[in-house]
Amino acid sequence: MKRLRFQYHMSLSFDMPVQEHHFTLKCLPQSDDRQAVESLTYDVYPNYFISRSKDSFGNDSIYGYCKEEHQRFLIDVRGMIQVESAPAVSMADGSRADIYKYQTEHTRPGAALREYHAALLQASGEGTLRRAEYLMHRLHRDMAYEQGVTTVATTAEEAMRLRKGVCQDYAHVLLSLCRMEKIPCRYVVGMMLGEGLSHAWVEVCDAGAWAALDPTNDCIIDDGYIKISCGRDYKDCLLNQGIFTGSSGRATQKQEISVFVEEIV
Amino acid sequence: MELKELSRYSDAVNELLARYGVKFGIYKNNTFKEQLFPFDMIPRVIEGEEFAYLERGLKQRVQALNLFIQDIYHDKKIIRDGVVPEEFVYAGSGYLAQCEGVMPPKGIYSHISGIDLVQSKDGTWYILEDNLRIPSGASYPMIARDLCRKSMPQIFQENPIADNRNYAKLLRRTMDHVNTGGHTVILTPGRYNAAYFEHSYLAEQTGAHLVTGSELIVENDHLYFIDFSGKKERVGAVYRRISDDYLDPMHFREDSVIGIPHVYDIYQKGNVALINAPGNGVADDKGIYYFVPKMIRYYLGEEAILHNAPTYLPYYEEDMKYVLEHFDQLVLKDVAEAGGYGVVFGSKLTREEKDHFLSMLKAEPRRFIAQEVIDFLDIDIVEGDKAVPRKADLRAFVLMGEEPMVWKSGLTRFSRNPDSFIVNSSQGGGFKDTWVLSR
Repeated sequence: MKRLRFQYHMSLSFDMPVQEHHFTLKCLPQSDDRQAVESLTYDVYPNYFISRSKDSFGNDSIYGYCKEEHQRFLIDVRGMIQVESAPAVSMADGSRADIYKYQTEHTRPGAALREYHAALLQASGEGTLRRAEYLMHRLHRDMAYEQGVTTVATTAEEAMRLRKGVCQDYAHVLLSLCRMEKIPCRYVVGMMLGEGLSHAWVEVCDAGAWAALDPTNDCIIDDGYIKISCGRDYKDCLLNQGIFTGSSGRATQKQEISVFVEEIV
Repeated sequence: MELKELSRYSDAVNELLARYGVKFGIYKNNTFKEQLFPFDMIPRVIEGEEFAYLERGLKQRVQALNLFIQDIYHDKKIIRDGVVPEEFVYAGSGYLAQCEGVMPPKGIYSHISGIDLVQSKDGTWYILEDNLRIPSGASYPMIARDLCRKSMPQIFQENPIADNRNYAKLLRRTMDHVNTGGHTVILTPGRYNAAYFEHSYLAEQTGAHLVTGSELIVENDHLYFIDFSGKKERVGAVYRRISDDYLDPMHFREDSVIGIPHVYDIYQKGNVALINAPGNGVADDKGIYYFVPKMIRYYLGEEAILHNAPTYLPYYEEDMKYVLEHFDQLVLKDVAEAGGYGVVFGSKLTREEKDHFLSMLKAEPRRFIAQEVIDFLDIDIVEGDKAVPRKADLRAFVLMGEEPMVWKSGLTRFSRNPDSFIVNSSQGGGFKDTWVLSR
């Protein structure tokens, strides 16, 4: 078990003033069997109002509106959390696991994934979790971590064709492979011990509990991982979502995220 | 009444309908076209006793459908008990994971249901399809009846025709029943929508505000209507005439400019009613249609009063065998398509088309249903000075307030083409008044 202090910071800068900015920020870790949030504070700037919401996947979010013109938008989340080393989270609602068996736009296999998966069919892997681990090992071996070759819109099929990508792509590919075998599995966004970006991994439903696998690092997660949100794919777990109008045309935004997690002993 | 006389009235009423702007629009080849919806003067007449039977069946069906939607997004008992296979639910295009665990005000999902029926030559009524998202069409018989009453009042004095001018009142009662406090509004995407006439007409008749998304805003945990002077007033019910996809760009299609950002957040909190509730598509899918009689048995412990058209699911091996053996007698429907599209008559395919279709069917059996072709009871329409028989269906409207209510009228649509079985207005049909006799 670890006691972790975390900071999540996101800033948006716009190339021209924007207004009527509606936003949803899904960046608040919650307590579950594995992690217990001790304290949590956040600041959102600027805002006309903010409120809290919970989506149907169980994720907490902040939503709000900023009417006035602005060119920068910031959110800071800080807190303390205790994380167990046991990786499995028992299910609050077992019947809902089935909705995670189905492919989504991001995970739907095409020829490349089907062919890749067919070659893995003969191989062993006893039990759901073992099988998912096996798939993870294989894909970790066959894919190379490389930034800049994929985008947030890249699908599992596209990443498989490239055999390259970042944590989001590794997670989508693993989801796609598991779902081809009707294993309920979901996409997870979170933070890892150290300094860097947000991270993505996968939870697999096995014997009434969610076990978490990190295909980017080819491991079962430990107590250095803080979970923020989960869903069917990347789209259910957007850290930041916004719509706005540019004051003098089509504005574009630049997003910067920094995460800092340290152990308190 | 003489046919000649009737056709004279027909021209007069159609002229009035055109003047009132009773149109529907369709997109064809990327351009928006408005078309008149031709009205035929010969009414469909349904005897009081017969309608009472339909009414019982429709109430039963809509009650079961509402219970089904609630069950799917909460306990999922019907799946666990093996009555409906889960892939028909979760892999269907109408299922919205965003609705999991969300309870609409008063637990009502389908406030306004448009149930399409046909009558076969032997007089049996069959359910053709359930429309639980945003079924349109009630305004057409409303205004046509109004104009007919004006142009030939004696007919309505001499015949025991149930007064159907209460639709607006029923609709208002339905909306008020779930209103969480504040105004009731009708949300329209605007005048380029196919059903814009209907949106404005229903707003006028019910006294609800007709609004577009830009006139509504979520602040904190509530929805407000901003009037012309900038004053904000609470809204407690939105009869939204835009689809789930476009409802809230923060939860559904991000590129929607006709929706209301964050309205889904406050709906989840129970602070506004959305009419109809999002996610209803899970129950009016053509694949789910097959299971409605089973749902009625499962939730209500009753046998279905109204029958489905005999339907086969190629998903089940036994049904697939039947479909392959009787292909030429069946009509096949793609479960993902609506509006009369994706409908194939086995007998009308060329050899090549048939082979192509069969390979699709075998590759994706879940995508299709097959139905026996029903021999429709034709009803007469006026063409020139002659009455000619045409295929027609009936859309019955069931409103769910405290109790389910069936409007004693409906939208009878007919196909203008004598050989066509497809009566959807987007494919060029016309409509009739539907008289329910009160004795």
